[in-house]
Amino acid sequence: MTGSRTPAPATYVNPYAAGVVLGLLLFASIALAGRGLGASGGFTVAGTAIVAAVSPEHVAQHAYLSEWAPHGALAALTDWSLLELTGVVIGAFASARLARRQRAEVEHTRQESSTTRLVQVIIGGTMLGVGARLARGCTSGLGLTGGALTSTGAWIFMAVAFATAFATAFLLRWFPSSVILAPAPVKR
Amino acid sequence: MPPFPVDTSVWLALPIGVAFGAILERAGLGSARTISQQLSFANWTVVKVMFSAIVTAMLALFWSAQLGWLDISRVAIPETDVIPQTIGAAIFGAGFALASLCPGTACVSAASGRRDGLVAVGAIAIGSILTAEFWPALGKVAENAPRNSATLATDLGVPAGAVVFCISLLAIAAFLLAERMEHPVQIEQTRSVLQFISSNPIVVALVLSVLAALQRDTVSGQRLLTTIAGEIGNEADHVEAIQLGDWIRQQRPGVRVVEVVESVADVNPDDYTIPGSAAVSLVDIPNLQVLQADTLVLYSAGGTHAAQAWVLLRARGLPSVFVLRDGLAAWEDEIMSPAPPTDSSVSSLARYQHARELQRWFGGTIPDQGNVWSAPTAPPRSGKPARRRRNTC
Repeated sequence: MTGSRTPAPATYVNPYAAGVVLGLLLFASIALAGRGLGASGGFTVAGTAIVAAVSPEHVAQHAYLSEWAPHGALAALTDWSLLELTGVVIGAFASARLARRQRAEVEHTRQESSTTRLVQVIIGGTMLGVGARLARGCTSGLGLTGGALTSTGAWIFMAVAFATAFATAFLLRWFPSSVILAPAPVKR
Repeated sequence: MPPFPVDTSVWLALPIGVAFGAILERAGLGSARTISQQLSFANWTVVKVMFSAIVTAMLALFWSAQLGWLDISRVAIPETDVIPQTIGAAIFGAGFALASLCPGTACVSAASGRRDGLVAVGAIAIGSILTAEFWPALGKVAENAPRNSATLATDLGVPAGAVVFCISLLAIAAFLLAERMEHPVQIEQTRSVLQFISSNPIVVALVLSVLAALQRDTVSGQRLLTTIAGEIGNEADHVEAIQLGDWIRQQRPGVRVVEVVESVADVNPDDYTIPGSAAVSLVDIPNLQVLQADTLVLYSAGGTHAAQAWVLLRARGLPSVFVLRDGLAAWEDEIMSPAPPTDSSVSSLARYQHARELQRWFGGTIPDQGNVWSAPTAPPRSGKPARRRRNTC
């Protein structure tokens, strides 16, 4: 490797090892704080906090929104799930930086443009938000935490979500009109 | 001090989040590529990480509860509400495939500098807040029959250890499938399977889950009792008369109304009962023939027998049992002869109109027109719920 080149990014860790460490973290979180890991709750708190900052009355009068920020926009900043999500961003940022994986880019396949990918992400991301809210959790809060606690709803969620995800990915690959939406090519 | 209550353990949230984010990033889950490859079965990182994490935490939780190190009853188990969760999961799954990211990994992707991750974060927040905004309008799609501490063990009526064992086996099967699909051309398939199974972590997991399956179900029994106490504490043991009226009118599947009495022989057939209800004496409650999936609603003359029956049925492991709040009196006041609202707010007016609809359906009387007891004993237009339930109870 020449001196002018930046060193190659570190390789990803063994997925089983990562999973075991993640499981121990999940256990520690439940044992120490009485609650597991989650992500989608933080999104709802953040969104509600923004709405509450613009119109506090709207949130206060809204039966469901008020549950997410019961003491206003400022208090929502000390909400567990939002702080945890902030931690996720900090931890991921530090880790990516240390592993030399920090890159301003849009991940997309060779067949699709950045714009197509971003449109896909906007549609998919909104669906993730809607779905996670309706299901009362996402792959972290329901999948990992609910899965480990053997919650019935969590396992129903996991089964349906992954079945739909595999089916959708399959359809995206075979629908001629959406070839550009195809998942990333396999890199061996 | 801030002018609002702050969770005392909240300082843990940030470090736990930092570790969570770092682990996801290290495993490569902050890259949409990794997830996309999982969905086309080329790279099984997602399945491997998730299943190893679930099994590790599940075994740690099960055993620390079993050995008395951890009071598992104080841990909030994610809610179960089958219909909204199924709909939500389907939408989530499709979004997962489209974005190749999920809420947690979108944050990791964004933190790694990826613009698509950042856009996903914004879109997820918008999707979440829109759903929250329209939550009341979504009705049953959002909130159907939420249950607090439903676990596979309590819902299926099997010991918690057996569930732990089955999930561990499922995970090991998924790992074997993953290895096979990632290395399809390996010649000595059997040997590699044996090698994988005999690797230390898998052996540890297997031993712990086999031992779990052999455990007597003391923890889940204790947990159930604590859960029951918690439900009494947070009033989850009650159902309002209006809600019950809706259930009967909509012929919600599996709803059975039980009047708990001292002795069935003493019941006066002329007494007014809730349409479709069946009288059962308290001593017969433990042997009541019901399905695990049924929703039982109990009431009794004084309310005490209904409450006692509730505890008996919940302790039997039936997940969905309710006491009608304020019993028959509430049914008569709120459904058979609803009083007009005292204030003119939109919500109390809507509640009154709703009650009036139910009243008409159940054939109640308008308050100033006289005696509630003259109300008919079955819904006027459809006698179906009454007959069906009487036969089965």
